[in-house]
Amino acid sequence: MNRAIYINDAAILNAAGSECADLLGAPLNAQPLAFDARRQAFALPTPRLPGDLFDRKIQRSVEPQGLRLLHCAARLAPALAALDLPPARIALTAAIPEVDAPSPCWDAVQAIIEQPHKQLAQLLANTPPLHALTLLNSSVMAYVAEALNCHGPMGGFCSQDNAGLDALIEACQQIGEQNAEAALVVSSSPNLTPALYLREPGLASEPVFGEGAAALLLSSTPSQDATQTLRIAGFARGYSADPQRAEAVGRRVIDQALSREKLCLGDVGRIVGNPDDPQLNELFAASSQALGSTRGMTGELGASGLLTEVALSLHHARQSAATPGYTLLVSHTRAGHWGALLLASETMEKHA
Amino acid sequence: MRAREVYVSGFGLVAPMALDAATLFERICRKQSCVREHPRFKALGFTNSAAGFIDDAQWQQIGAGFGGNPALHPRQSVLAEYVARQALEHAGLTPSDFAHSRSGLFLGANKYCADSHDLHRVSRCMDDTGRVNLDRLLDTPAASSATFVRRVDQQTQYLADRLGIRDHISTHSDACAAGTMAIGSAFRAIERGEIDLALCGAVELMANELPYYMFNSLGALCQADLPVSEQSRPFMPDRSGFVISEGSAMVVLESAEHARRRKAAPLGRVLGYANVCEAQKMTSSSRDGSKYEECMEAAIEDAGLLRSAVQHVNTHGTSTQANDSCEALALQRLFGECQDVMTFTANKSAIGHSLAGSGAIEAVLSLMSLRDGVLLPTLNYDHERTEYPSLKFLSEPMRQSINVVMSNSFGFGGVNSSLILGRA
Repeated sequence: MNRAIYINDAAILNAAGSECADLLGAPLNAQPLAFDARRQAFALPTPRLPGDLFDRKIQRSVEPQGLRLLHCAARLAPALAALDLPPARIALTAAIPEVDAPSPCWDAVQAIIEQPHKQLAQLLANTPPLHALTLLNSSVMAYVAEALNCHGPMGGFCSQDNAGLDALIEACQQIGEQNAEAALVVSSSPNLTPALYLREPGLASEPVFGEGAAALLLSSTPSQDATQTLRIAGFARGYSADPQRAEAVGRRVIDQALSREKLCLGDVGRIVGNPDDPQLNELFAASSQALGSTRGMTGELGASGLLTEVALSLHHARQSAATPGYTLLVSHTRAGHWGALLLASETMEKHA
Repeated sequence: MRAREVYVSGFGLVAPMALDAATLFERICRKQSCVREHPRFKALGFTNSAAGFIDDAQWQQIGAGFGGNPALHPRQSVLAEYVARQALEHAGLTPSDFAHSRSGLFLGANKYCADSHDLHRVSRCMDDTGRVNLDRLLDTPAASSATFVRRVDQQTQYLADRLGIRDHISTHSDACAAGTMAIGSAFRAIERGEIDLALCGAVELMANELPYYMFNSLGALCQADLPVSEQSRPFMPDRSGFVISEGSAMVVLESAEHARRRKAAPLGRVLGYANVCEAQKMTSSSRDGSKYEECMEAAIEDAGLLRSAVQHVNTHGTSTQANDSCEALALQRLFGECQDVMTFTANKSAIGHSLAGSGAIEAVLSLMSLRDGVLLPTLNYDHERTEYPSLKFLSEPMRQSINVVMSNSFGFGGVNSSLILGRA
């Protein structure tokens, strides 16, 4: 990175609540799913969008996952506007692996079972015309870009649980390479539908999923009114489908993220990662730090999981009693992606 | 000179009526359209059944060389493996080269779209209360392996595992620009020194009834009463929408150092790239083309070139009124007097619009023009009736050596991207 990048603001929405402080509350219990009472998950009601930013037709036409993302993005509008940047200098990156899922249309499935001789008619009758756009995933990005005036570099990412990391790194690179001064990073977790449970049927231990969304505002300058800043001090990613290589890739990714600040693991004050991941536990077995995560409060949030953890780190950094230090967030997906993100919480004087 | 030069060392492609890049290039040179009447669209009674589609005979050949049982995998993965194999062979690489280099895989795609057969299979697994019985569905392989377990990144994941990709895999979902975005992202990753070797491109299979219905209901598809091969007519005054299509293309990119180390001959170079979000309107761009112009200008600047260095443009050219008009205005303004010595082409006139796949397919065709010194014609283009006479679209193939091509992709939702490609 050629210049410092700060996390100026964050917005979340999940079963714990819509404020970062909600993630520190008493753990919640997952609830039985409407379509399968044997399974439990953290479901969310569909949020209402602010009418001053989003047209009513968006509220009507976008499905819940997209609305959650837009709800988070809207809450960053004041902080983004306060930066007073030309739209062309604001990047937008999105982790949207499933947003706007146009198919299956469960209504169409139901209609077909009722009138199996009218397959096509039922399919078409239950498919809103605007789904042509939602097929392309860019509709929600376009709504964010239009409402918040982000007309700079952009990118949409779909690598499931790793998409949040991809979107965050892309935003950092665009700011770091001076293609943008600020970036909005938005993400959403999948809707809780039967499809979610069909994708990985062979899992030894099925995760407790949750619905949610998270958005971050990154900038090349720290927030004016903050006494504590949260800076992105390093990042790295890797991939291995081979479990035998996984630990080596994970270790390399962590070392790479720490290397920009010439740190070793012992210099990190807080480590965030899934405590139920055996390979992550293996990596940190020798560390005195315990792995922490908000999963118990939210369920597994997929593409918005990492950004939710970053939002909580920003909340910690903004506390009056916060002490400067480093937080290392490590992600490891079932598909084999590894990611590491190093955050530095610093006092404002350092940048005066 | 960039910090790290990025070479193209191989490519692979499957398009309607073409199982490799050379066949497609030849077809377009001979002015043969890849658009046909889609038998399923016709059987369903659609008013216009024109489409570019991979037919059963092609699928048989694609599936024949597949590493596993193609029936057990999504077609996107089967196609991805076929195209990747072509690209690797072309580059003189094997999967182990990816496993032993700092490597990445970058693929563009849009969502898997169910068709009526998919939904009918699932409806058989519903219980009396109208809920899908997951156990019953999982016990029905044909249904469980259909739409409901498919993901937008399925082919990326599959290919990454087959190739043993080491460092970076990503799936790009930037609508019609996704293929170009994937190539641009791989270019950037090599240029930054994050990786040395990348396979990048897109896979798109959308020539089925649901996307057809949805795009048609938006008024985006061609409505003209013309022979199917004449319906895609970019930049002509009587254009009336795009023809839906599908396909896949991938290119192998590597750092110049990596190519030199293995003594690989470059086929071309990636010189510059820009991706910009404009978000003017969901289905059309800034009417004056200013946003397209900004994107193209940024890509040329990224390549460290003057606009006069660009000799040929492979336009996005969808054949919709709004897109072509915006792009033409942008090209006219950006290139000004340079237009006199430039040529333009619109590959969608022959192939139709394969959405995410289009940018990757057009990048491959552009690289072939650079390599072979042959510029492709735009089908259905009539110089006598053209709306934009200053843009010299070729109606016949032309033999001409060129050094720099710009390839544009402009997606729904204001997702704009331009690639600058150079001769080796």
